Amino acid sequence: MESKSKQNMFRKIMSIRGMGQVVTVTVGLLVLIMVFGFLNPTFASSKNVANLLRQIAPIILIGIGQSYVLITGNIDLSIGSVVGMSCMISATLMTKGVNPFVAVIITIACCLVVGLVNGQLVARCKLPPFIATLGTMTIARGIAQIVNNNYNTDSIGDGAKGFRDFFYYGKTLGLYNTIWIAIVLWFAFNFLLSKTRSGRHIYAIGSNLEASKLSGVSVVGTTTKAYIVSAFCAGVVGLIICATSGMGTMDAGNMYEMYAVAASVIGGVSTLGGQGILLGTIIGAAIWGVLQNGLQFAGAPVAIRNIVIGVIVVVSVLLDVIVRNGKFRKKKIR
Amino acid sequence: MKRKLFSVLMGVTMVASLLVGCGSKTEAVVEETAPAKEEVAADTTTETADTTTEAADTYKVYLITMDQMDQHWVNVDAGCQKAAAELGNVEYKWLAPDVKDDAKQIECINNAVADNADAILLAANGPDAVTAALQEAVDAGVKIIYVDSAAAFEGEVTFATDNEAAGKTAGDEMLKALTAKGVTTGKIGVINVNAATASCVSRETGFRAAFEGSGFELLETQYSEGDAAKSKDIAANYITSECVGIFGANEGSTTGVGNAIQEAGDDVIGVGFDKSDTILSLIKDGYLLATMAQNPDVMGYEGLKAAVAALGGESFGGVVTDTGVSVITKDSL
Repeated sequence: MESKSKQNMFRKIMSIRGMGQVVTVTVGLLVLIMVFGFLNPTFASSKNVANLLRQIAPIILIGIGQSYVLITGNIDLSIGSVVGMSCMISATLMTKGVNPFVAVIITIACCLVVGLVNGQLVARCKLPPFIATLGTMTIARGIAQIVNNNYNTDSIGDGAKGFRDFFYYGKTLGLYNTIWIAIVLWFAFNFLLSKTRSGRHIYAIGSNLEASKLSGVSVVGTTTKAYIVSAFCAGVVGLIICATSGMGTMDAGNMYEMYAVAASVIGGVSTLGGQGILLGTIIGAAIWGVLQNGLQFAGAPVAIRNIVIGVIVVVSVLLDVIVRNGKFRKKKIR
Repeated sequence: MKRKLFSVLMGVTMVASLLVGCGSKTEAVVEETAPAKEEVAADTTTETADTTTEAADTYKVYLITMDQMDQHWVNVDAGCQKAAAELGNVEYKWLAPDVKDDAKQIECINNAVADNADAILLAANGPDAVTAALQEAVDAGVKIIYVDSAAAFEGEVTFATDNEAAGKTAGDEMLKALTAKGVTTGKIGVINVNAATASCVSRETGFRAAFEGSGFELLETQYSEGDAAKSKDIAANYITSECVGIFGANEGSTTGVGNAIQEAGDDVIGVGFDKSDTILSLIKDGYLLATMAQNPDVMGYEGLKAAVAALGGESFGGVVTDTGVSVITKDSL
């Protein structure tokens, strides 16, 4: 009796769309953790685990944002630049003596504007998402450079200690605040995506744009929502980076949009839209972070790390294709 | 229709990137050199009234750096402006790509030559990429003076930091501090920008050389692309694996090292390069032991003076002058 209900439970979990890949990569993650733990026992020390979780948190956040956009069948290349913009705007405001709380509000508002513009360009003006966000990527990076006249900012100072603790250095219930931020936002956005109407619309327009249009889904509104979530997450990561360094750096977040794609894709989010769950994004981000951290403890040169990460991105997607179809797919049918 | 729109957009993007590719910080320059320029203008106009040949004595000198962002380049520029103000017969301009990029730096060189520059002070982005552009410049009669980093092409003279010697100084500082603490063995972490930045690689070579024959184990270098947040993560990992010292090869790396030591509260010795407001406050609070500060203003000042001397016919024979580093510690602040 009990075993049967367990089996049902298992089936129920597995029947969630996209769960297959999540299970596959979770196994991969566990293998990685065991290998690194074996290579260097310090890897599994409590101190490193706390550090590791905090290193993964920003990748989870940008991964959530990119996943939202990927599920609608689009892409957001502006994430990294929005991270830089957020870092620079908040740091500049704080060095000018603005209250950190106000600085955070202004910064996030600026980031949301970028998301809004992205959504409108892609959905209303029908620009290819690659081009639209390429444009906003350059613009956001330009804003990051211009806010402090093309210089990195000075130290945000002792007045911002509360800000630095809230986003990075402080701990709540034994976990770093950065990790809590990632957890809270993940639950919020996961609920939004899997349990609300907006969430279902996001999947709908990613699966079949025409059909969802005909069934009355607001494509413009839904796409914009996804881009705004993405910009919001990038903005939060920018604040975390600002808190980490205690200053604003103009090239903060460089390439993060690609890390976000990697985390999403490893976790089973399809770049063609309509597929994937945010649980996968966590695992994808964790694999990314574990590799970065674990290979340093194993003393591996950075070049090796890059190769390993590239191979894992390709293999994890390939595995999913094989598992789902039982064979190599000849051509991706949309 | 869609394809047409796409191609138009790509075209616009490309043109836009060309335009922003090579900008000059004219605003700042104009603001600060305004008095000097006025003097020059006044001088030349009076002189041209007397004799037309005198006007040729006003030299047009360009400073071309790797980018415009680092405080380092701003200080080189400040040195140049100081020299230009003292000399009075120099029309000085600062050009730089928006990001470190060989192709964009070549554009800047070509633009300077097209604008009839008499001399170019160059901080070469890489040793080989710019050589062809420099040959064209020399053919057009332009004198090349290197500041900060030279290319594999003969210039009049080079004013730069001997990075390997500076790296060794950093290593010696760390070794001295460790010995003073009674630590003679242990692991030492190294954070660098990437494997392609020659100046930072030389610093690392010098740093590692300082520990030759000692009981310390220098770990595999980690690259952070100069990102302070990434450097902080790497340094935290080093501290977890019980390093006794960590070296940062540039500003971002050093900031990360300082932040990690500050958080861990460990008595790990951190030594780095470059100075910024954040690094100086980390040293003042005792989280970093020392930073090696270059003298970019000396590079700019001496470079511009040498350029004018070379234009006056003096020959330097391509010598390399070390502008040195200042070791900044808590005591020297």
